[in-house]
Amino acid sequence: MKSKGSQRWWKLDNAAKIFPSSTSRHNSKVFRFVCELQENVDPQILQAALDQTVERFPIYRSVMKRGLFWYYLEDSTLRARVRSEDLPPCFPIYPSIRRGLLFRVLYYKKRIILEVYHALTDGAGALQFLRTLVCAYLLARFPDAFVPPYPTVLPDASEWQKQADSFQKYYEKPAGRRLYLPGNAYRMRGSRLPKNHLAVLEGQIPLAKALCCARERGITLTELMTAVLIRAIHERMSLRDMKKPVVISIPVNLRSYFPSKSARNFFATIQVSYDFSRQEDSLDAVAAHVRETFQSNLTKEYLRARINTLCALEHSIPLRLVPLPVKDIVLRIANLLAMRGVTSSFSNVGKVSMPPPMERMIRRFSVLTCAGVLQACACSYGESYVVSFAGPFREHEVERTFFRELAGLGLEIVLTTNFPSEGEVN
Amino acid sequence: MRYCEACHISIEGSIEYCPLCQSRLSGEPEEDSYPILLPGRKPYRLVVRILAMITIIAAVVCAVVNLSLPQDGWWSLFVMAGLASAWLSLGMTIRRRRNPMKAALWHLGLVSVLLLLWDWFTGRRGWSIHFVLPVFYSCMQFAVAIAAWVLRLRPSDYMLYLLLCVLAGFLPLILLFCGLLQIMYPSAVCGGISVIFLAALLLFRGSALKNELARRLHL
Ligand SMILES: [Zn+2]
Repeated sequence: MKSKGSQRWWKLDNAAKIFPSSTSRHNSKVFRFVCELQENVDPQILQAALDQTVERFPIYRSVMKRGLFWYYLEDSTLRARVRSEDLPPCFPIYPSIRRGLLFRVLYYKKRIILEVYHALTDGAGALQFLRTLVCAYLLARFPDAFVPPYPTVLPDASEWQKQADSFQKYYEKPAGRRLYLPGNAYRMRGSRLPKNHLAVLEGQIPLAKALCCARERGITLTELMTAVLIRAIHERMSLRDMKKPVVISIPVNLRSYFPSKSARNFFATIQVSYDFSRQEDSLDAVAAHVRETFQSNLTKEYLRARINTLCALEHSIPLRLVPLPVKDIVLRIANLLAMRGVTSSFSNVGKVSMPPPMERMIRRFSVLTCAGVLQACACSYGESYVVSFAGPFREHEVERTFFRELAGLGLEIVLTTNFPSEGEVN
Repeated sequence: MRYCEACHISIEGSIEYCPLCQSRLSGEPEEDSYPILLPGRKPYRLVVRILAMITIIAAVVCAVVNLSLPQDGWWSLFVMAGLASAWLSLGMTIRRRRNPMKAALWHLGLVSVLLLLWDWFTGRRGWSIHFVLPVFYSCMQFAVAIAAWVLRLRPSDYMLYLLLCVLAGFLPLILLFCGLLQIMYPSAVCGGISVIFLAALLLFRGSALKNELARRLHL
């Protein structure tokens, strides 16, 4: 935070620096968290809860601005307003004609929806905001249901800790710089929905049973889901496609490896690559390979090397001196090249927890993201594990194979979708 | 809850067919978790299209009349250049309509270029650099400063744009010192106004100006 004089402003954190340049028509870099309650949402109470929550997360009041060399966040006097859900999921937030806040809060029937532009924060940071919001909402909605001390989800973190860019804290200059281009991965194609529309398919799975399934195979739930996803993508590949590997990118919350209370971006990605032309296509074989990759990549040393690679870009003096309009073009091309090396992604946000007295008031949490290709996200709450697919395509072959395979493992799946029913507008 | 016999999967909502395999679902429909969204309307579209059509008709009529009566010279080219200039300006205004300060700054650049081009292609008499640009730059400084004051903008919302307008006011002065101008007083007055504005900015809004530059120029 820099706050000499009147207005506060923040540099973008390391991960966020690339987002404004690489946001495009089909890739809004917006992600969505949904909290589904047991009864309909009261907009007035939600608005009051939102006002309280923004007070505690001042950076959510900021707007994006362009400097000569970098984008930055600047404190604003705008007030966030809750709205009834009136836009397709993950509708672009930045750039927009009206300079606005970088997140929005929507409600629809029983759902409270938080949509955030990725430059502001990552999944873990946004979840912290949503939990605080839901907590404030429930406290105001059912004042008689709680007795002091009132439940809270606020972390034990100072203002400064929440606004810190943790990438900088753990960066150390790498000895030699390696610049490598990713190989070409298999890319899904298909007829696309209209601009800015996203087809969403959320599958709710009983957590305990899913964990059992994973443990039987001696792997974690994320590893199992990644393996099933790789196999589901394989299903729609032609023999020619199989010359290219399926590469799944998996965001890792670095807070679990490096102590940080930052409410901003602090994640890195690891990649699982599977080559069906050389490797077997049985679930066990894929799962074993996924496990191997996870175990070798999810170590402090490997992740620290990832942080250093990510930060090297931002610390290179020549690149820093390039004016922003040129940077926009360079970073956009770099992003396109990086995208060619990735087939899809699977991000597991993990277990969402709420204070015990509130647990019975909330039905479930879910999460989804828009990144230009078909993506899967997952989170668990109580007894439900929700895997959400969001993609720009009209066909849903991957989703079908994925959920059918899970059903075949004996899991009861409940799907929710935003696809229009027959006869409605496409 | 509805159920797909083929996929062995339950489905929430009122959807009739399985989203995965399109077979007909059994079971009772429930309320949907997502709203049905109808495509929104873009408010400016129709007006802009009508204006575009009128412009095209006007340009074509001029061209046809001009081609039929060529003895008056190629005046229709000027009409078309004028229409094109008006459209450039309108497009910029629509694009930046939420940020009037930025729109003003873009206009400053656009109008300067257009004036120079018009002057160049209509006999290079130098009226643009001698009179119009100095007057224009002087007016823009007042306009931006007054707008910032009336709209009660915060320093971060006007400071950079005002500063750039003030700096643009020094351009005629540079031409003057390079000895490119025969008529001096409009440029001298414009330069004087810029010096006064710059001094006022530094004296009364110095720290806000410094903060704004620190933000905009951070590496
Ligand atoms: Zn089905």
